[in-house]
Amino acid sequence: MLRQLEELTALGAEMARTANAAGVRLIWRNQVRNSRWTVVRQGKVETSAASTLSGHGAQVVTADGRAALASRDDFEPEHARKLLERAIETAAAGQRLGLQAAEPVAFERVTGREIPVDPAVFAAVDLKRISARLIELEKEIAARVAGPSLSVSYRSELDGWRIFREDGSDVFFAMPRCVLGMRATGSGNGGRHGVSATLFSADPGVPFDDAQVDLFLRRAEQAAQLATVLPDAPAHPAGSFPIVIDYALAKGLAHEAFGHASEADGFRSSILAESGRFKIGESVGPETISIIDEPVAGDHAWQPFSANGIPRQRAVIVRNGKLEDALSDPWSAGPGGVRLTGSGRAESFRSAPQPRMTNIRIESSDALDAPGRFEDYGPEEVRALLAEAGVFRRHPRVVYLSGYTGGQVNTASGDFVFQCKAIYDLDERGVTLYKPAIFSGSMFGALQSVREAFGPLVLDAIGYCGKWGQQVPSSGGSHYFLVLEPHESVGLGGRE
Amino acid sequence: MKLEPLLEAIGNARVEGVTVERWQVHGTESRRLSLGIKDREAGNAHAPLSLAESSSARYLLVWSDGLVCKGTLERQQDPGLAFQEGRATAYEDEDGAHVLGPAEFPEVELYDEDTAAIAGGQTDRIAERLQWIREAIDTVGARTWSGSFSASAADSRMLTSAGLDVRSRGTSYGWYVAVDGEAGDGFSARRPEDDMAFSARLEQLMRTAQQVGGEPRTLPAKTHSVLLHPRVVENYVLSTLMQNLDGAAVAHDESAFDRSGFRSGRASLRKDIGLSIDPLQPYRGGSYRFTGFGLPAARCTYIEDGRLVQPILDVKYARRLDLEPTPVPFGNDTVRFGTPSRLAYRDALEQTNVLVLSVLGVHTQDRISGDFSLSAPLALAVSKGAPWSRLRGTISGNLWETLRSDDLVFVDVPHETTPGMLFPCRFDSK
Repeated sequence: MLRQLEELTALGAEMARTANAAGVRLIWRNQVRNSRWTVVRQGKVETSAASTLSGHGAQVVTADGRAALASRDDFEPEHARKLLERAIETAAAGQRLGLQAAEPVAFERVTGREIPVDPAVFAAVDLKRISARLIELEKEIAARVAGPSLSVSYRSELDGWRIFREDGSDVFFAMPRCVLGMRATGSGNGGRHGVSATLFSADPGVPFDDAQVDLFLRRAEQAAQLATVLPDAPAHPAGSFPIVIDYALAKGLAHEAFGHASEADGFRSSILAESGRFKIGESVGPETISIIDEPVAGDHAWQPFSANGIPRQRAVIVRNGKLEDALSDPWSAGPGGVRLTGSGRAESFRSAPQPRMTNIRIESSDALDAPGRFEDYGPEEVRALLAEAGVFRRHPRVVYLSGYTGGQVNTASGDFVFQCKAIYDLDERGVTLYKPAIFSGSMFGALQSVREAFGPLVLDAIGYCGKWGQQVPSSGGSHYFLVLEPHESVGLGGRE
Repeated sequence: MKLEPLLEAIGNARVEGVTVERWQVHGTESRRLSLGIKDREAGNAHAPLSLAESSSARYLLVWSDGLVCKGTLERQQDPGLAFQEGRATAYEDEDGAHVLGPAEFPEVELYDEDTAAIAGGQTDRIAERLQWIREAIDTVGARTWSGSFSASAADSRMLTSAGLDVRSRGTSYGWYVAVDGEAGDGFSARRPEDDMAFSARLEQLMRTAQQVGGEPRTLPAKTHSVLLHPRVVENYVLSTLMQNLDGAAVAHDESAFDRSGFRSGRASLRKDIGLSIDPLQPYRGGSYRFTGFGLPAARCTYIEDGRLVQPILDVKYARRLDLEPTPVPFGNDTVRFGTPSRLAYRDALEQTNVLVLSVLGVHTQDRISGDFSLSAPLALAVSKGAPWSRLRGTISGNLWETLRSDDLVFVDVPHETTPGMLFPCRFDSK
């Protein structure tokens, strides 16, 4: 599957020589992404397909710091040479358009190779066998929860990149990704409501791994049960409340609120920067709280090198409540006043990389115990956990937001929003289910409000991040649950 | 992409005695130029001037044993090998195993020479407009701005085993500007708008940027008379409606509209609300000559007088629902939505308390239930027909209830093809 990238060594060296002869900096990105997916519904294959995305993009920066990117969907040497010439001409002509010139910070020559799986395993993915397995899983979910309409999906992807630079750098890496998914749509007198569940693995054989399938079925069952009751659930009142969020929502908070605002390419307008520079040392949360972004082996968002061919570093965005690291690339680190963390990611060879997150988490230094698996905790169990920790003595009623379905942030204002799958009111007497509502507010208010954390870290909340129109895999998490005190700047949308 | 090698490979395809019985191929060759502006910096390393060339073909093969496979073939892929790999993914799909034959295709004006020149690297027009934007930004004293320009040109051809052979040549052009990371507007169509229209939109954006410049005030948390700007209507209301009208969603009971609703004749929305498209309009972004499954472009009504007329149907889901395939919406500027009569913007403002200019979190909403709970970081308090302060808050309610409500009024907003929507809505200030 990665053969085309293996064969580029000589052409990569030639492109580097051409760039050096022209006096320009070159980052030449080559990508081959093979994807296979299938969806089943009601015991039948609904769709099934394989696709390949491949090609190269030559990003050129002239001696006076002007950039241009040219891309084409093949690896033909003659076309690659012409494309490089065109990129050089375009960048050189950029002055007329008033294109911004910028000098990157120094970065070292790198050679590296990280391909953690045998590409042949991905090439051998048998969609017919997998579709048959998904039909079995669909039956199993339907047997556990009667009523909702179900679809079960599988997607495997091996995303290979080889990046050459004019300084002789040559990095070659491949990112394996497989996702099992289920969507349940329930009906009631109040209409219809859909709920999804996913499980990530780097192993394309995940539908045949008993332990993983057991976990997937547990998540799917919980989602399907929710889909049956949500259509008739009432809407929650709007307002500020004491709130419990699970690790997937905590990932959303870390990602939307702090992660994006710490991306150094946005520091000329980010609320975490002043005069374009990161506010290192500024207090943004309790001393017990840290926010960390780093590639995690075997994870959905794992990426060992940036799309500029620089090793990805761990970034402690918030350490013990204070800003420390930003997510940077060679062009944003200098102006932002931060160290280079190699955080540039791109959707494809056609895109210019930007500082992006990989796996981001909120960590507490004094998390309380929560025994068992996360999936063992329904709303009743969460209520018992809070009761035991004495939370109800502080707040007779706590609002539990369960599951994450996406979010968005305005990094200039610090306003974030995210949406949960369901809301439960928890009190000493019991649990009441409500429809989901948007959780929004000020990022500082939200982080300052974190009071307790329960359980070990879980980092497998997956999603896709769409910054600047480029979709890249994201992931992260936190402890099983975080408790947030009510804060005037953070609220739940809802009805009267 | 030249399709002849594909057709030859289809003719030669044979896997374990099985051959291709029916097929459809849709090849596209395109060039694109784009330029980003991030925080006043045009074309920096994170948003460089980009030139892209691409060529690909989408295919559907129906094998002689009835199995179906589909995929995308890239420029460099060997079609014979790709079809062999495709065969390994083939599956039973009785409804999906059909291709369309010849038809009369309308001539639609989709191609503009000047836009094609921009897509090929000619940047004079962009340079000129970039300068206008910079001057406008300086005039209002904005702290920063970001945006983008893009232009593309594409040639496509579709062929099917049933004798369909149709070509299309089109261009696209668009720009977007966001001031101080908040107020934003843009334009997209098959060619640039004229200078006057560009200036008018830019001026309106600068006025809005000034209006939202102050500190936000708060309003009492209650139901207010809320006017959704057409951008919000497109972003949330139209996209939610289209997703629920999608034939696959209807067929799988994953839509708010069940299939019986399309035959019953009963009103699902208020009795004067309609939704239709006209993809034949010249140079509109949503215009086209044929759909991705080979149906000629035509005017099409999905909702009329509040009644569901038909879902948005490709060949597969048309068969599954025992209906005819329909033209599909491709861009908001060819969509006609709302009521035959609309309130003038000036009159609507007289009745408005809150003008919502943008919302966050649209993609997180449950599209089926219609329940919405959206952050509105950019809104204006309006009193006696004039905006008087910036607001931040959340709006919440249920879209289906809103679209059935007698209190809903559609509003004509200058320079916009999509109407605004004025209705009583819960607004909670932050």
